[in-house]
Amino acid sequence: MTALLSIQAVTKVFGGLTAVDNVDVDIAERSITSLIGPNGAGKTTLFNCLTGLHRPEAGEILFDGRSLIGLRPDEITARGVARTYQNIRLFGRMTALENVLVGQHLRLHASHWSAILRSTRQQAEERAARTFALELLAFVGLESHAEVVSTNLPYGEQRLLEVARALGSRPSLLLLDEPAAGMNPSETDRMMELVHRLRDEMGITIFLIEHDMKVVMSVSETVAVLDYGEKIAEGTPEEVRANARVVEAYLGPEVVLQDTADTPNL
Amino acid sequence: MTPVSANGAIRNGLIAFAFLGYLILIGIPGRLGGSALPVLALVAALFFWVKLRFDAPDTGGAGLPGGSAEGKPGWQIGAPGQSSGRGVGALFPGRGGTLVLRHGLLAGVTTGLLIAGMSLAFASAIGSGASIQPVLDKIVPVNVGALIGVSPGQIANDDVPLFRYPLQVLFFTVAGLFAALAAVAARARNLQTTSMARLSAYLDSLPFRTTARFAGIALPFLLLAYIVWLGIPGVSAFGSNEGTVRLLFTLIATGSGLFAIRLAHPGREQKIVALLLALGVLTMPFILDQFQNSVMGLVFIFVMMGLGLNIVVGYAGLLDLGYVAFFAIGAYTYAFLSAPFSSPYISNLLNLLGISPEIPLLGYWTALPVAMLTAAIGGILLGIPVLRLRGDYLAIVTLGFGEIIRLFMLNLGELTNGPRGILEISQPGLFGLPPQSFSSGLLSSQGWIFLVALVSSAVVAFVAIRLNDSRLGRAWFAMQEDEDVAEATGVHLVRTKLLAFAIGATFAGMAGQLYASRQINIFPENFSLFVSIDALALIIVGGIGSPAGIVLGALALKGLPEVLRGVDEYRIVTFAALLVIMMIVRPAGILPSARRRVQVSPTDEQGPTTAAEERENDASLPAQGPPARPEDARSEEPA
Repeated sequence: MTALLSIQAVTKVFGGLTAVDNVDVDIAERSITSLIGPNGAGKTTLFNCLTGLHRPEAGEILFDGRSLIGLRPDEITARGVARTYQNIRLFGRMTALENVLVGQHLRLHASHWSAILRSTRQQAEERAARTFALELLAFVGLESHAEVVSTNLPYGEQRLLEVARALGSRPSLLLLDEPAAGMNPSETDRMMELVHRLRDEMGITIFLIEHDMKVVMSVSETVAVLDYGEKIAEGTPEEVRANARVVEAYLGPEVVLQDTADTPNL
Repeated sequence: MTPVSANGAIRNGLIAFAFLGYLILIGIPGRLGGSALPVLALVAALFFWVKLRFDAPDTGGAGLPGGSAEGKPGWQIGAPGQSSGRGVGALFPGRGGTLVLRHGLLAGVTTGLLIAGMSLAFASAIGSGASIQPVLDKIVPVNVGALIGVSPGQIANDDVPLFRYPLQVLFFTVAGLFAALAAVAARARNLQTTSMARLSAYLDSLPFRTTARFAGIALPFLLLAYIVWLGIPGVSAFGSNEGTVRLLFTLIATGSGLFAIRLAHPGREQKIVALLLALGVLTMPFILDQFQNSVMGLVFIFVMMGLGLNIVVGYAGLLDLGYVAFFAIGAYTYAFLSAPFSSPYISNLLNLLGISPEIPLLGYWTALPVAMLTAAIGGILLGIPVLRLRGDYLAIVTLGFGEIIRLFMLNLGELTNGPRGILEISQPGLFGLPPQSFSSGLLSSQGWIFLVALVSSAVVAFVAIRLNDSRLGRAWFAMQEDEDVAEATGVHLVRTKLLAFAIGATFAGMAGQLYASRQINIFPENFSLFVSIDALALIIVGGIGSPAGIVLGALALKGLPEVLRGVDEYRIVTFAALLVIMMIVRPAGILPSARRRVQVSPTDEQGPTTAAEERENDASLPAQGPPARPEDARSEEPA
């Protein structure tokens, strides 16, 4: 398996705080990888480094063999990396359809002159974009809500819409920042199913941050664990679950001292 | 009728009287001449209508399912979840309709009696020779005469027929009734049980609604015909000030035309109405006189400004307070090209090159691309340093930029002739013909400017709407919503922002060029901060993001003050009061864009959708589908 994304010794410092400290993660093509860790471990900061919102102080990020360091967020998206956000950040006053159309912005090339003149090519491109947007909405199950202003969507559907918007740029790697946060169990199941379908039907590599251990353990093939900006473990869900440092990071050292034999159910 | 509601009606009547009394004291009736009484009655009717529509009358309190206990009742009408289809539906249960009619009647009578009493007092005071001038300087025979509907001479001679006073009362009573009827008609479908139901059902019936719709569509055309009639030599319906009256009706005709287009059914009917209106408006420059044309020309120059600023502020969400800079750049660019002799530096340069500075370097139309390009470069030059700035910081920096350009114009005396300005700028020609050759008989010189402004605004509006409806428009709006996410979604921020600045500046440059040729002589003080503020105010008043709203905003902000010109020192105060009232009644602007309404009053409805629909439907559509929330009431048009 070739690594689609290779994070090599990435370090990000805010003032005196090292938010991400020398982290290496390799993500294989068409895999589902989870990034877990306690609050403040640097997970979202790592995502921000990947998508160009932050520029890491050290290290290298290779995507498809090419470096992402120093690129602007839109250039990184153009390379094929898309993401969603921990606290939903949709374009609130736009409809669901328009959100997905903005997601496709990079893939549309008609000139602005042709937009003024409504050339046939531009119109054809707009129609195709609209069709594709509706397909994506149908893919995440929002086809009936295409014309709803996105702030008016229920919470769970806003998360789905974020995924659809990210898909608009036709990514090969999708970064999901806590996709199941705040969802009820049935919505969580729907999201997990979607994650699988993204990989199986669309061939998209998934890298996700998640707190819900049920989701992490059932959905991911590889799990990486961050604590205080450092990667403390990486492996299959079972390996990580058995890792003493991970247990310590989550539950504190006393638990480990008192009860090393019996692994707590994460 | 309960005493409570009578109090409410009388209170409304008093408020209307206070408002009208103010207008009378500052001399508006004298300005309007013979049409004073109908116009004042119309103002009263509008006020009553707004009160009845946005306030639950006191009678409603008990019968109101949702209750109107908290705060201002108008903000809390109806019960959430009431599936009335209209947010205000629950307002008048039972015999509400009758009560509303009585309310309107009583309020109208109150206002009418007070106005008549005031008129009587003033007329007898003037007739008896009492000196009221030092305090109430506008209470002169012309003013009071117009208010009562008699000639100034009759006032001075204390010769007013007594029946004139009951007639005044009648005017305002009819106004009150009319407002009440309009308010009832808007929600008639919810009245089922009373005798009012029949009237309401009639008001809500298809023939009535169709008639009302056609009346609305016909209104601008009737007004146009009226303007034409007023323009016939010898016709003097309204005493001394028909020029002002004509201007007022021109403004109303243009504005109501925009509403008429919305009233028409989408599709062929709408296209026909729009086409006819376009033709009607295009004939205006030919039938208006020099004064009205010059005002309308300025209005449409500001429409161009507003449309340009709307791209920066309304679409891209970049608050630009220095927008006048591009207006000035366009104006001065054309000034240099058209009147090089006015600039010492340029005339020297041309003399060195062996070109005579006495003749224009370029005509209006050949200079247009140059002025647009110069302004666009100015826009990009401003854009680059402020790329990283947001919100307040951006506003302050752009504010400074606007002042810098003005100070340049003021102090670069060698180039711009400083405060002495650039003089004798030529007017636009046509196909090589000088403006004088065709602007003499059929078209006055100001009419020609108005026509050019109209056509240019139409082009600008077309480009703005098309761009907003493309991927660029979506990128702008996404950027406005969340800059970081837009960038991470694939929007090239630098390019998108600079495009917004450049296109906005281009439009301002076009406006500036036309302004220069309208003014003939331009000076740095023409380009003060207030031009930026005017442009910003007109898009806020009209409705940010909505081209039709911008036209209305320009009519209201640049046109109305000219109508009020006669009341000179009170003009700005009146105008400020109107602005405040408007922002309370319609916080999102006169004709808001669907998106802006979402922001001001979030609803569950599926209404606001795509940019295309936004322009077609907008405010005239009732809420559809899911239970309408109470806030709907404030974003709907009357049926």
